[in-house]
Amino acid sequence: MNTQEYISSGIVESYVLGLASSEEAIEFELMCSEHSEVRAARITFEMELENRLSLQRVAPPRELKSRIFSLIGMEEVKQEPQVLQSRPALIPRVGFPRFIAAASVILLLGSVMLNLYLLNQYKHSIAQYKELVESQAQLANANHSLNTKMQLFETALYQMKDPRMEIVKMPAVATSPSASSMATVYWDTSSRLVWLLVNQLPKPASGKQYQLWAIVDGKPVDAGIFDVDEGIPFVKLKTIPRAQAFAITLEKQGGSLKPNMDAMYVMGKVTG
Amino acid sequence: MGLTVTYNEKELVAALKARNNQAFGYLYDNYSGSLYSIILQIVQNPTLADDVLQEVFVNIWRQIETYDPAKGRLFTWMLNISRNASIDLLRSKNYQDSKKNQELKDNVYQGTRSTQISTDAIGLTRFLAKLRPDYRVLIELAYFKGYTHEEIAEIEHIPLGTVKTRIRNALMQLREFLK
Repeated sequence: MNTQEYISSGIVESYVLGLASSEEAIEFELMCSEHSEVRAARITFEMELENRLSLQRVAPPRELKSRIFSLIGMEEVKQEPQVLQSRPALIPRVGFPRFIAAASVILLLGSVMLNLYLLNQYKHSIAQYKELVESQAQLANANHSLNTKMQLFETALYQMKDPRMEIVKMPAVATSPSASSMATVYWDTSSRLVWLLVNQLPKPASGKQYQLWAIVDGKPVDAGIFDVDEGIPFVKLKTIPRAQAFAITLEKQGGSLKPNMDAMYVMGKVTG
Repeated sequence: MGLTVTYNEKELVAALKARNNQAFGYLYDNYSGSLYSIILQIVQNPTLADDVLQEVFVNIWRQIETYDPAKGRLFTWMLNISRNASIDLLRSKNYQDSKKNQELKDNVYQGTRSTQISTDAIGLTRFLAKLRPDYRVLIELAYFKGYTHEEIAEIEHIPLGTVKTRIRNALMQLREFLK
């Protein structure tokens, strides 16, 4: 299983919500320390959850806060807004210069507090920024792999719709090991290049690989080997100048010189 | 002008570990609502939820040293403490006894459960309603009742492997709803 599959297996959600078994949790923590994208996926979900739950918060009864604070042996800190009160009555008694001095001290204190406040805000923003950058990198990655996939699809579609393509459908043969097998050859009539679309073939056992054969004057000619477990089942194989039919057999890894007739899956005749 | 101190997560943890009162006040003001909501959904009774929330915050204060940022965010840690405390309460003998009494009372005086507020419409429960019934049951048993996968397999008469896959699928779906 690769990292992406691991991430999208539901383990992230199970772990964060406390539903993973202890073995799964240990494995997940290891994966997080070794793969930054696993860790990033965990943080993304944690933040989603935190934000969602904070939208649905229910205020506990007011007296509960002081009860808890007294239980752990501290005074509840009251963060009441600090109102700077001016007291005009003081002015005539203490004289103008002293008022100026007092006012500047108050202003200075206010400014220091404001600066502290702004500094904290700034630190907070930096942390949020870092978290955003992390999830941005993750998105860019996902985007890149989607683009690559898109390009593959585009190439396939472009080749398939080309009017020069001769299409040879290959249904399962009577002795096929899998009766629902099916594949289609797209044969470029000008370049004579053979493309293959795997409609349905079972996944080969390890050490085995499918091989396409062109039947030329009754003799099998190797037309290329291919895998079926790739993202898109449309592959470019060899150039075959002339053939009356195509067939697919299962061979050892890397292909054979002669087809194994016992393991023939599909065959189709060239009609043109 | 109200000057309130705000913290980022790292600073908040550091301040809590340094036993800073103001940081604990900040923690309570910012997170008690979210945690209270999840506790209510599990214990389904405001009076009991108050007791659990109290226990949770006392435990957060006492056990902050054991919080390990490498394993998850602070909120996740607190959420799991809240869930565990709620489930422990549901399983405690006192609760089981009081429930029996409550049921007895309810039978005698129909419709006297005025202290019970409806928790159907809040939090995760609302999203749960959107899940397929067979998924919903599993999430209720696993997340809100705290049963292990093995226990659920026994209760629901389905293989352990199926329980695991279904719970994971259900979680992925739930996550889509949360977005």
